[in-house]
Amino acid sequence: MTTLQAALSGALVGGMFAVMAAGLSLTWGMLRVINLAHFGLILVGAYLTFELATSWGIDPILTIVLTVPLMFLVGAGLQWAFDRLGVEEFASLLVSFGLLIIVMQTVSNVWSADFQRMPGDVNPYATQSVSLGRFVFPAPTLIAFVFAVVIVVTADQVLRRTFAGRALRAFAEDRAVASAFGIDHRRLGMVLAGLSAASAAVAGMLFALGNAVTPSTPFEWIGVVFAVVILGGIGQVGGVLLAGVLVGTLSAVVSATWSPALSPLVLFSAIILALLFRPYGLLTVRGAR
Amino acid sequence: MIAARGLGGFAVVFMALAALAVWREDLGLPMFYLVLASTALFWVAQATSWNVLSGYSGYFSFGQGAFVGVGAYTTAVLGGRHGVDFYLTVPVAAVFSAVLALIVGGLAFRLRSFRGEIFALLTLAVPFILAAFARVNSEIDGGQGVVVPVPEFPEWMGQFQDFLYLLNLLVAVVAVAAAFAIQHTRFGWALASIRDAEDVAEGLGVATFRYKMLAIAVTGLIGGAAGSLFALQIGFVTVESVFGLTIPLFVIVMSVLGGRTHWFGPVLGAVVIVLIQDRLSASGFEGWNLIVLGAILAVLVVVAPDGLQARLWRRPWPAVAALVLVTGVLAVVDAWGTPLDWFVSGVLAAVAVVLWPGHAPASAERRPPAPDHVDLGEIGESTGHSGQQLPENSKINGEPGEVLVECREVSRYFGGVRALDGVSLQLRAGELVGLVGPNGSGKTTLVNLVSGALRPTSGTMAVAGRDIVGLAPHRIAHVGVSRTHQIPKPFESMTVRDNVAMAIMFGRQPRPLTAAREEAEQCLDIVHLGHLAGARPAEINLHERQLLEMARAIATKPKVLLLDEALAGLNPAEIDAAVAVVRRIHASGITIVIVEHLLRVVNQLATRVVVLNRGRLLADGDPRTVMSDPDVIRAYLGRHAHARGS
Repeated sequence: MTTLQAALSGALVGGMFAVMAAGLSLTWGMLRVINLAHFGLILVGAYLTFELATSWGIDPILTIVLTVPLMFLVGAGLQWAFDRLGVEEFASLLVSFGLLIIVMQTVSNVWSADFQRMPGDVNPYATQSVSLGRFVFPAPTLIAFVFAVVIVVTADQVLRRTFAGRALRAFAEDRAVASAFGIDHRRLGMVLAGLSAASAAVAGMLFALGNAVTPSTPFEWIGVVFAVVILGGIGQVGGVLLAGVLVGTLSAVVSATWSPALSPLVLFSAIILALLFRPYGLLTVRGAR
Repeated sequence: MIAARGLGGFAVVFMALAALAVWREDLGLPMFYLVLASTALFWVAQATSWNVLSGYSGYFSFGQGAFVGVGAYTTAVLGGRHGVDFYLTVPVAAVFSAVLALIVGGLAFRLRSFRGEIFALLTLAVPFILAAFARVNSEIDGGQGVVVPVPEFPEWMGQFQDFLYLLNLLVAVVAVAAAFAIQHTRFGWALASIRDAEDVAEGLGVATFRYKMLAIAVTGLIGGAAGSLFALQIGFVTVESVFGLTIPLFVIVMSVLGGRTHWFGPVLGAVVIVLIQDRLSASGFEGWNLIVLGAILAVLVVVAPDGLQARLWRRPWPAVAALVLVTGVLAVVDAWGTPLDWFVSGVLAAVAVVLWPGHAPASAERRPPAPDHVDLGEIGESTGHSGQQLPENSKINGEPGEVLVECREVSRYFGGVRALDGVSLQLRAGELVGLVGPNGSGKTTLVNLVSGALRPTSGTMAVAGRDIVGLAPHRIAHVGVSRTHQIPKPFESMTVRDNVAMAIMFGRQPRPLTAAREEAEQCLDIVHLGHLAGARPAEINLHERQLLEMARAIATKPKVLLLDEALAGLNPAEIDAAVAVVRRIHASGITIVIVEHLLRVVNQLATRVVVLNRGRLLADGDPRTVMSDPDVIRAYLGRHAHARGS
């Protein structure tokens, strides 16, 4: 019973990992930019939600009305710079590592290194919970899961059905040919990176809703979120949700049955195994060449 | 020789730097400088440790903290909880850390298709696992942290800080000397070839897995020993102090700044970064320390990914002048700061000069081609070019001899696609076999199977009587198979000569570097590339790159040479020149399989033609018979071509 409850809660928490991982996976798969700074953007998103809710009294969920456009601009600008300077793949991993460190230290200088949590009067969601039958779920994780489903399904449909989505997939497949067919990869790339950053703003809000943040929180995300990206298959949004749910469930079940401290140990061991045996994603069948 | 002389130099440097601590008071050196130097030495050791794996072989690791952590915890737990003598814990720490490194490497390097990015992310996860393990396990940490007792040390060393300095110095000098030695031996060449083109290196006979494991073990050994000193230095080891991302950040920034392909790069980078960090902290900008580091990393990767060392070696004097000038002027004016501030300003000025745009790598000058190196008249004559012959093996030259390559019912499927389907084939010594077939008929797959790049789904294969199924490509290279790649993949960081010398050093009859370089010239002459021996691969054209592929392939002293579309994309004159080269290689006694689309070339060269179609063997025989076979014509020209043609 408790294990089942833990598994279900974990699955919901996995939704938040999926939101964090979606943008990362897309920019990696489509633009070949491995953007560690994405975690910096999530962190800033979380702090902005905290700040806007605490100082201005805005409803925490509604803060994304402000943070999403702002982050979109940041993400698009960053991609513009990456594209201009030819930063890709390995170089992007290093450059964005540098950027992540800069963001974390700046956040620490602005908001101090202490834990920050939205007080109960501005964040009514933190204490609420929803009971479904015998199971009880905290509101923040349910909200996170709903957002995850909406974001992933939308992104998946956009990539499948719209012209821009097809153009992006064509571009990821073969850049030279896609460009020859008149695909403006610069603009598309900036839009995609912008949307990815916007999803980071949402992820930050979702995290702040149920947790306290410190400037070093991204270190807790990196491992799990990259695992979700790789397990889901790089560049495949649909896989991200599945992998997120899997990782969240595993982590929660280990915490519940053994000890919370063991959860990262089991989780990362599982991730390493997955990396070794399914390096192209759980769902990916390596096609014929 | 270079290595031996260099190691003597390191002994001298060690003595000189050790003297600073022993006679510190007599020299009037403030303790503060010694502590700073101690910190710099610690980072020199760490950055060097990281660089042996990640710089030399190109496998970037974010897991340096894991090695430091294992070293630190070994010393802390053994010394602090079990009373083991500190001096004993250092080697134990190094060994534990090396074992961890070997486990990580053993997992990560197993897969041939393991890409660098995935390795980087894997190493990112390792410290997290260890941190969780240490937190849970109360025998190790249990979330409490561990106090490290101060060991006893000889009186002549002076205070604790002097002692620590000497220890750091010892580990740093050993680390740098090891990196120096590695760079100047086969080990270093193997790692460089892995960095440039791992598959090619493996195919030329480099045991890439073994060298990567060795590299990661060295990284672990040094990282663990230095981590052990780190425990002593901080006095109280916590999970956060070792398993975070600060240590990887530091070593990556230092190595990228200094330069990753040379032993001196990390040394330079570590010293500069430690100086900058110290001055920032001293000026009350602690909060800016990491911001500056992050910015340095981001900017450097874009502006100067090759780092300081290479640029400094090329033009040292402007930098030295800047250092002396700025430090000197500040010292004379004496209006601001301490001597250390002046010196650091000088260093920063020198770094700026070195990194200044326009100071970018100048390409080595391309030597003009030797006159008449392409003589169109020589086509058809296979021998008699002035002394540019491989030692001839006349016994098997000419008529076919023993069976050299034997494929039996070999199949290879990709998912549902049958790239090769039950192909049986024998190649005899001395043959020059043309392997032809339409696109997608399985030619390259067959080459990949014989060279070991792929494993067959079923069937057996033997080379010179030895079963090669499941052998690593470098083993197969040592059995006597060598290949070229359709798209040439030279080792970009090496000269044309060293590209070939690499193949000789690791080939079937390995030679030391100097002998290999001499022999390389001969191989280059055979393919008419002698005049470009000193050039970099980036400076030569496609034709020359393809000839380089051939030179490298014959340098391994193969019995069988697989030429995979070695003439693709060449113009007619270049094709004729390449055909002459192939003849010459064949005449030296090497059995050749040439994959080629140009039937004119195949007709001209081959003693036998093998036709594949849709993964099956369609025809096999002498060129004239095969080329007039109706099935072959149909496969090439379509279903009705034969009927219409006749």
